[in-house]
Amino acid sequence: MSDVRYLTLLRHYKCMESTQFNSQILNHSDKLFRFAKSILRNVDAAQDAVQELILKLWEKRNMLDEVENMQAFTMRSMRNLCLDTIRQNREEVELAVEFEYIEPNPYQQTERSDLANRIRRMIDNLPELQRTIIRMRDVEEMEISEIAYITSLTENAVSVNLSRARQKIREKILNEQKRVEETIWK
Amino acid sequence: MEMMNELLEKYFRGETSLAEEKELKKYFSEGNVAAVHEIYRTLFEEFRQELNETAKTPLKKVIPVQRKIKQIWIQTFAYTSIAATILLLVWIQFPQTKENFAVIGGNKIENPEYVQRYTEKKLSKVNNILARSMEPMKSFNKVRQDVEPLQNVRNKMNAIQNKLIIK
Repeated sequence: MSDVRYLTLLRHYKCMESTQFNSQILNHSDKLFRFAKSILRNVDAAQDAVQELILKLWEKRNMLDEVENMQAFTMRSMRNLCLDTIRQNREEVELAVEFEYIEPNPYQQTERSDLANRIRRMIDNLPELQRTIIRMRDVEEMEISEIAYITSLTENAVSVNLSRARQKIREKILNEQKRVEETIWK
Repeated sequence: MEMMNELLEKYFRGETSLAEEKELKKYFSEGNVAAVHEIYRTLFEEFRQELNETAKTPLKKVIPVQRKIKQIWIQTFAYTSIAATILLLVWIQFPQTKENFAVIGGNKIENPEYVQRYTEKKLSKVNNILARSMEPMKSFNKVRQDVEPLQNVRNKMNAIQNKLIIK
């Protein structure tokens, strides 16, 4: 169900006060930002997306009182908005140059020796659904049921995608380790 | 270590619970990580690091800005109302508080009836003075009237003189 349809079903509203809005939505803005950044792989685009979402939610705040799980609802709205942005910009297939993962040469290794940075790029290099799911689970520590709601998937499909994402990261880490060892022994 | 091996395999299959994943994170955040697991330490460290990531600019400004605009309108309305009320009060109070007085003989007199009587009295006095001042002018008129026959005599004498010269 789309967010618009979901909202239109909520007929019996009470106006959400700004303090309530702050506590329920703005206090999660950092989480929304991380989520948007994971999907869009661009800090500025993520920032804009979160601002846009918050404004949209603020405009429809009188419709939000009936939402049971506000965090899951806002995350789902955030993902839909980010996917719309990607579709509009037609940037989904190819990674932006700044996020493209390139195997570092020995000179680059000295500059980018930070394994954490490389792991982050590995995650960014995953398909949108997989990187979204792995971050929701491993960074935000969300329940599978919540992730299923946000991604509009079944819980089983979420687990499968989570497993695939983790396996891919594991494979890349092992390859990275192997490559480093080979470089050392050459 | 065997237990951690099993837990890691379960993790990569996507079968661990949140509690088990927290246990793994705790294991990798502490110092006693087995060498064989060391390769995954950075992965779990990265998850922890990403959780600390915050929005680049404060997003919470969105709503306060809107509220600020609203507050500005409210404040403007309030200040305008206060100013209008003050002006209205001043306008209402002005005739009552305005001081109408006259200074008579160095004394401040606020009784308008007294001032009116005093002014009328003074004007009457001035009128009398003027009337008295004009009285000498009446004498001048009388002298003029009295002297007028002499003017006739003079004219007759001139006429006689002219006749005599002609002859």
